[in-house]
Amino acid sequence: MENKSRTILHIDINHCYAQIEEMLCPPLREVPMAVGGDESQRHGIILAKNIKAKPYGILTGEPIRSALKKCPELQIVQANMQNYLYYTSKIKEIYHEYTDRVEDFGLDEAWLDVSDSLNVFGDGLTIAQEIQRRVLHEYGLTVSIGVSFNKVFAKLGSDYKKPNAITEITKDNFQDFAWSMPVDDLLMVGRSTAKKLALMNIKTIGDLANSSVTTLKNKLGKMGVLIWSYANGMETSEVTLETFELPPKSIGNSWTTPKDITNTSEAKIVLERLSNSVACRLREKQLMGKVITLSVRDTNLHRFTHQRKVEVALDTCNEILSIIMELLGESYDFVLPIRSIGVHVSGLVKTNTHYQLSLFEDTIAKAKSRKVEIVLEDIRQKYGFYSVSQASALVDKNLSHVDPKGSHTTHPVGFLKGSL
Amino acid sequence: MKFFKKYIKVITVCDEYGSLTPVYIIWHNGEKYKIDRILEVRKAASKVGGCGILYRCRIGKNERNLFYEINRWFIESTTP
Repeated sequence: MENKSRTILHIDINHCYAQIEEMLCPPLREVPMAVGGDESQRHGIILAKNIKAKPYGILTGEPIRSALKKCPELQIVQANMQNYLYYTSKIKEIYHEYTDRVEDFGLDEAWLDVSDSLNVFGDGLTIAQEIQRRVLHEYGLTVSIGVSFNKVFAKLGSDYKKPNAITEITKDNFQDFAWSMPVDDLLMVGRSTAKKLALMNIKTIGDLANSSVTTLKNKLGKMGVLIWSYANGMETSEVTLETFELPPKSIGNSWTTPKDITNTSEAKIVLERLSNSVACRLREKQLMGKVITLSVRDTNLHRFTHQRKVEVALDTCNEILSIIMELLGESYDFVLPIRSIGVHVSGLVKTNTHYQLSLFEDTIAKAKSRKVEIVLEDIRQKYGFYSVSQASALVDKNLSHVDPKGSHTTHPVGFLKGSL
Repeated sequence: MKFFKKYIKVITVCDEYGSLTPVYIIWHNGEKYKIDRILEVRKAASKVGGCGILYRCRIGKNERNLFYEINRWFIESTTP
């Protein structure tokens, strides 16, 4: 399999959210524009910007207020996630017409392995041109495509020239093409790795490819060997089949609340919602977890996590919530109010109908409470999330009016999908 | 010619296989116009913004682009 020549495309929808807004409202193309979160809900950061906003040095992820200081005439468009999900999924339907090996990398990027489709649709470049043309004509959006023999160089190609470009990196030209590029353009080389490499006088991908793999291993561990092989074009990982779903390593939800949380009882309202969502998602995936983690970010944006391992794996809201409340009591004194809070469960095992009971707890009550939660979830599925709620949710609707499970979106997975 | 995006009411026929065919468009003042002929159907982006299934239609002597966008219809109109 590894010897067989492969053709991989990496397709990136250029400044995706901003471009979808421009497509829906073309006059936005003529002004500096950025898509931002909802400031009233305190999600006020820049999510994407258009080409006209780029010269102002506006950064993705910076607060809307600071972006407006850089460019007072910047037009902020409120993000409409449903639209972005809809249009990106439609565009991916086009990709699926060319191969069943389509691997998502976030909403706006995907790898396509078209090796087996070459006889039907023509070579990689032809397929790339065809996809680019169709996305533009059918959805009015431009994409950048990298065509190469592995995933790493395909991504490098799509990042090389934007917007609306196609870059081909072949086995014959990758040394001329990629080796002169800065090392942090390579996938998996982030800021901190680039810093370490700079200390070793490795500045370009070529420097990395020609350096000693033993030294890299000593300095960077397995990661050193990995990025060395990437630089030498030896990356061979498969583009996963569309039906492939990676088992999750942890399940969690966090929320930046619309107002600060100032005491334990307010925190409990939010944590109840989050624990409930996590418990439901665990049960949906038929998983139970042993490690419960609380994450807290205060109003100074300091973040910490506190976790506990339990003997018997669990999947109910009640149990998760009681542990989380203990963790909160032990670790936080509310000197500063909390801005965002999260609940995560890891150490996942498959739900097993037979498991070791504990001698020291009321297992019948536990089973009953689990049944109640399942019934509650059934009611919510049938009549809507807000059809049934805890009485505590009525205390402060600002803090309880959220459906973390329904509004949950999966964020880009890491390229490596697991440990090295 | 400058075009404007106008969402409008459309009377459609949905056949037994689920495919939609627009038959009349109803303007904002309530006036009804018959679609005499559908010249082309394909997915397309519109120059007035948005995208969807384009029905290139002949209405009387005019040719107009009618789009089915997710769950509603808009027309590339010559009047705002």
